[in-house]
Amino acid sequence: MRAETAIQQYRETARRWLEAHAATHGAPARRGLTPEQDLALGRAWMALKYDAGYSGINWPREHGGQGLGALEKLAFEEEEMKFGFPTDYFAVSLGMPVPIILRYLTGDWVLERARAALRGEEIWCQLFSEPSGGSDLAGLRLRATQDQATGDWRLDGQKLWTSYAQYCDYGILVARHDPTLLKHQGLTYFWVDMRAPGTTVRPIKLADGSDHVNEVFFDNVLVPDSQRLGPVGGGFKVALETLVIERHHASDPAGFGPALNLFVREAAAADVDGVPLLEDGRVRERIARNYALQNGLRAIQARNQLMLGLGMEPGPEGAVNKLVSARARQRLSEFVLDLRGAAGVTWEPSGRLDDWVRSWISAPTGRQAGGSDEMLLNTIAERILGLPQDHRPDKGVPFNQIPK
Amino acid sequence: MALIYDESQRQIAEECDRILKNAFSAPALKQLLEQSGAYDTGFWDICVSQGWPAIAVPEAAGGLGLGLSEQGIVAQACGKVVCGAPFLNTGYAVSEAIGRFGDAAAREKWLPALAAGEVKGIVALAEGRAPLPKAPAVRFEDGRLTGTKTAVPGGGAGDLAIVLAATCDGPALVLADLSGAETRRHLLPTFDNSRLAADMAFAGTPAQLLAADGIQAARTILCLLAVATAHEQVGGAEAVFASARAYALERYAFGQPLAAFQSIKHRLAENYTLIELARSNAQYAAHNVDDPHFARYAAAARIAATEAYDTASRDAMQVFGGLGGTWEADLHLHQRRARTLAVEIGNNLFWEDELVEELRRAC
Ligand SMILES: Cc1cc2nc3c(=O)[nH]c(=O)nc-3n(C[C@H](O)[C@H](O)[C@H](O)COP(=O)(O)OP(=O)(O)OC[C@H]3O[C@@H](n4cnc5c(N)ncnc54)[C@H](O)[C@@H]3O)c2cc1C
Repeated sequence: MRAETAIQQYRETARRWLEAHAATHGAPARRGLTPEQDLALGRAWMALKYDAGYSGINWPREHGGQGLGALEKLAFEEEEMKFGFPTDYFAVSLGMPVPIILRYLTGDWVLERARAALRGEEIWCQLFSEPSGGSDLAGLRLRATQDQATGDWRLDGQKLWTSYAQYCDYGILVARHDPTLLKHQGLTYFWVDMRAPGTTVRPIKLADGSDHVNEVFFDNVLVPDSQRLGPVGGGFKVALETLVIERHHASDPAGFGPALNLFVREAAAADVDGVPLLEDGRVRERIARNYALQNGLRAIQARNQLMLGLGMEPGPEGAVNKLVSARARQRLSEFVLDLRGAAGVTWEPSGRLDDWVRSWISAPTGRQAGGSDEMLLNTIAERILGLPQDHRPDKGVPFNQIPK
Repeated sequence: MALIYDESQRQIAEECDRILKNAFSAPALKQLLEQSGAYDTGFWDICVSQGWPAIAVPEAAGGLGLGLSEQGIVAQACGKVVCGAPFLNTGYAVSEAIGRFGDAAAREKWLPALAAGEVKGIVALAEGRAPLPKAPAVRFEDGRLTGTKTAVPGGGAGDLAIVLAATCDGPALVLADLSGAETRRHLLPTFDNSRLAADMAFAGTPAQLLAADGIQAARTILCLLAVATAHEQVGGAEAVFASARAYALERYAFGQPLAAFQSIKHRLAENYTLIELARSNAQYAAHNVDDPHFARYAAAARIAATEAYDTASRDAMQVFGGLGGTWEADLHLHQRRARTLAVEIGNNLFWEDELVEELRRAC
């Protein structure tokens, strides 16, 4: 009970602080900004948080964090999310790359990187996926060749889907150092300087018009052996470690789309030839089903946070969140266009969270990024339910002999 | 703090599971399917001897003074074994109605008897297709009920009912004593006979007023019953899902366990997801029983639980192949119960409407 009040107090204080900055750094301030201006505002926001003691909330103090727990971090993120601050650029950076280098490297240099990343001055990206390996992460082909004399490496190949790479200073990367080894054994992990000669970043325009993901080309890029994390051949293990490092994320039952009450409000205010939309059983069913689903997710979230507060390990059911919220958001957003009739086609692209058209048009990528629906179902089936792995023709075969 | 169960709540859950598992008999349940008017007296005796009807009755009235969370925990255990009598949850609803709306005399007379399991409480609100009829055909006048309620769950053996009945001032919630000859019960042949659905013809059945604003009071009780039932549905869904998972692991086809085929794996993972959402909704509603938004949490719990139980039982039968649809495999016990629980206290059309009206009022 005591712990609960302390966390409520923390949340309350954070909310007041966030509210005070919403007008200058939140959604209203971002309207009409160019991407460059938005990023600049984002950097300013990160610096403000750093100075106020809201950066790296659950990171150790010696890494520049606040030394608090996952609960405080979740509380802050949940409140921060409500105001639409420009935090997107830094989420990957602070979620995986920077924590992993802090785990593998020591000394002033890495501490300086952590501080710069927390303040939004530097950004790190995650260069895992490739044309040949997304879900199948270990299917990647980008080559790392070691110079036998110096021990340093040369990178050749292509990464794909790298979020925010065009703004990044550094990245973490998995490469194949030996294609004659078994698939998972021939991988090695590095950090890279995105300005190293031979590195080219090309933004990819997504269906919603945004271009925050990129393809990144490596042409004979020199990477000193000192930038290797973990042993040669240990890349897959470090990659998995990276993916689970940030175990507690703030989640949104609406799947990071518009809130359900916006849907109710829109339906309540509209009619079709005199018949109120909210009287239509099909509309009502959608509302009720989505509410039940979102309420279930909220309940799981509330229970898991309570368990964290009591020092207990939250149940595995948190894993269902992304799966169900992303696809529910897709269908509900689709349906909003129906409600609007022929005028449903009108759209002025915006980056706004409450934009149903944007939500609909960008939903397919939401069902891939960070694990596709199918991979999430596999994870639930195998990790939680203890069901067998799929048939895997790539097992026990040297990488260069796997069918492609 | 019932959002996560405390030590004593976990003990209740374990104890219920243990006791009911030992008493579970599929052959006995299947025998009940083939006759009308009988319920599992052995199950009900266990409930009574364990004090389960007393759970939510105040201590002053001979109860245990616990709440909806504990009621839910027991209901969930009962759901797992497709329990052979409906009275635990319907009795809970009647006790709540008396506790909330009854006068001192009614509380003194009935609550100890309900808590002791001497009186079986049932709920007769619905008429025709309406769970909460605005203009009930059953009338309440001068302390007597007249008219007929159709397909009342537990109607074949209930001793005491809460009834939504018309008065000159609109529908009222009343408490009817069914022990006399004024009430005639006509048992219906159903696909889940131990639920004892019966048409109840009241011809001067003695009754007393509980609440003049009958719709509002009935809605309150129905929400409580919905959350208790949601727990029972979750229990049923968990049990039938566990059978499907176990079968998928042990049955081989094409040289591997069924569970290695992705369409089976994904089906089970989807079931797990629905059940977790339902379970969390139900627990959340029970935990927030005194919250101003309780009605919407109750509706959400009910909707999610109905979807989870129907889907889990449907999918389990698919996983079992031809065996799934046999009398022998027992899955039809869940298939039937999932549908019975889905329609007994208002189908999802009703609960969706309830929920939307709640949300509409808020915006
Ligand atoms: C907006 C966005 C941002 C991203 N940001 C990053 C980033 O910053 N860094 C990074 O490294 N990556 C990033 N990704 C990549 C992302 O992780 C992959 O897109 C994702 O893992 C899917 O991989 P893929 O695109 O290669 O699809 P594929 O793996 O080719 O999958 C195609 C389809 O096949 C299905 N499928 C694949 N394998 C199986 C299987 N075993 N069983 C059943 N179905 C299967 C998938 O579910 C999917 O529907 C991003 C992606 C997007 C869309």
